[in-house]
Amino acid sequence: MSYAGVTPTARSRAMVQESRHLLFTVAPGAAWIVIFLVLPSAYLMGVAFMTNGPYGLPEMPLSLASFERLAGFGFLGWSPGNLYTLLRSLWQTLVSTGLVVLVAYPIAYYISTCREKWRPIMLLLVVVPSWTNQVIRTFGWMNLLAPGTPLSGLAEGLGLIPPNMGLYPSNFAVTLGLVYNFLPFMVLPLYAAFEKLDTAQVEAAQDLYASPVRAFWHAVFPQTLPGLLAGIVLVAIPAFGMYVIPELLGGGKGMMLGNLVANQFSGGANWPLGAAGAILMLIATFVGLFAMRRIGKRLGGGEEVVI
Amino acid sequence: MRKRTLKRGLTGFWWFTLAFLYLPLAVVMLFSFNASNSAARFTGFSWRWYERLLGNEEILSAFANSMVLAIVSSLIALVVGCLIGYGMYRHRHRKLGWLIVLIYLPIVLPDIVFGISEMAFFVQIHRLTGLFQPGLGTMIIAHVTFQIPFVALIVYSRFVGLDPTLFEAAKDLYATPAKRVVHFMLPTIKPALISAFFLSFTLSVDDFVISFFTAGPESATLPIYIWGAIKKGVSPEINAIATLMIGAVAIAAIISLIFSRRRQA
Repeated sequence: MSYAGVTPTARSRAMVQESRHLLFTVAPGAAWIVIFLVLPSAYLMGVAFMTNGPYGLPEMPLSLASFERLAGFGFLGWSPGNLYTLLRSLWQTLVSTGLVVLVAYPIAYYISTCREKWRPIMLLLVVVPSWTNQVIRTFGWMNLLAPGTPLSGLAEGLGLIPPNMGLYPSNFAVTLGLVYNFLPFMVLPLYAAFEKLDTAQVEAAQDLYASPVRAFWHAVFPQTLPGLLAGIVLVAIPAFGMYVIPELLGGGKGMMLGNLVANQFSGGANWPLGAAGAILMLIATFVGLFAMRRIGKRLGGGEEVVI
Repeated sequence: MRKRTLKRGLTGFWWFTLAFLYLPLAVVMLFSFNASNSAARFTGFSWRWYERLLGNEEILSAFANSMVLAIVSSLIALVVGCLIGYGMYRHRHRKLGWLIVLIYLPIVLPDIVFGISEMAFFVQIHRLTGLFQPGLGTMIIAHVTFQIPFVALIVYSRFVGLDPTLFEAAKDLYATPAKRVVHFMLPTIKPALISAFFLSFTLSVDDFVISFFTAGPESATLPIYIWGAIKKGVSPEINAIATLMIGAVAIAAIISLIFSRRRQA
């Protein structure tokens, strides 16, 4: 809008009107998110620095006790329990993200090589299972991995598990559940990258007698890197804070950070400790997003995140 | 020659991955028709688990809660999100970076942190003032919070896709702001609104973690009921409810997809 040729009072009236318009359209939603998300998260962060009271509720004075507990220091001295949970979360995140990449990369490439009219349907087929409730999907895996099922029988026959045991609860089941859950999150951004692939670069590499491996490494891989990074962020961040899958498929020994946090908020446990765990998750989230932005900018394609 | 073996290998891998993706859902659906209550062996076809659902009051009330929660929260999110989406479009030349950060916050926050912050916040406010009794009300608030960004972004992208002269044409013809909303804005963004509603609805029905932490004792939704039933020990009825939910969510998602296609066309 241009205000050229308009008297100053009319211009300032128009500006007031614009500001009011902004207030009526944007303010209700912004206020909603501030009141019901920003404030609660800020409160939770505060809780992490308070003392644990008699019913697990936060109390004054301020202290760093919950961060010490998170690192394993309790009134009985140091024990590795919480640290194991943290390391297991990191390890599960790392392994499942890696496996998701290994499965999603060829799938995304394959879809991009198929006939154009099939591609949306193929993508839909990959995404549809993730529309179902996470609890139900995980319950499906419980059914599949329980003792006495064909999959458990096979693992038993191969000597991978002791007889009369199922494949769940176990850390393996948690990894499987995570890979299953996050596969679509990786296929979509990778497919977007493959679809935009500049094949002239690949042909140029072949004309210059590059071996298939080198052609892939120098002409294809760099082009899909932004999609890959977006996928890694979309998978690794929620995997790190996962609650449902370890709770159902992991049993007591497969706990991850999400379970540690959630358990502190139920039945008189320890709110400040749980809040400290939540802070750790937030730090991981923002470090992940920040790193992704930085690397994305360096690669020259900042707008690659697909949500 | 080599290319063909690669392609064949990829085709095989594709079918294998599809099987992997659909196997857990297929098992749930199959066992919902199992005549025996064994979770490991299929003994014959029967409708008995579905019949049991109809008489189970807990499940019916969980279903009602899920529906009220999904419909009410989607409607509120539609109004608030649509306003933001339009505001973002109208004022996109200003510096709205803070707004974008705010809008993306509910999307990037890990859901467990989201759910627990709300729960801790509601509990404390309730202790101080008596407001925000945990229950359907607090769940609706939490769901609206994560639905707003999706509605806003869908509406915003619809406005960005429009020809800017359309807005000026509507104004030049001396339409009052109210008339412009009724005769121009709403009809043009209707497909976006419908697809945003169905997306919000699906997100709400699909959510477990945030509902779980903001629910009260009387306000279990279907996923929360299923969770409880799994934790107490598996009952074959769960397969039947789960199958119905798979069907319902798939239908809602397909409707949303059709409308978003139409929106792009």
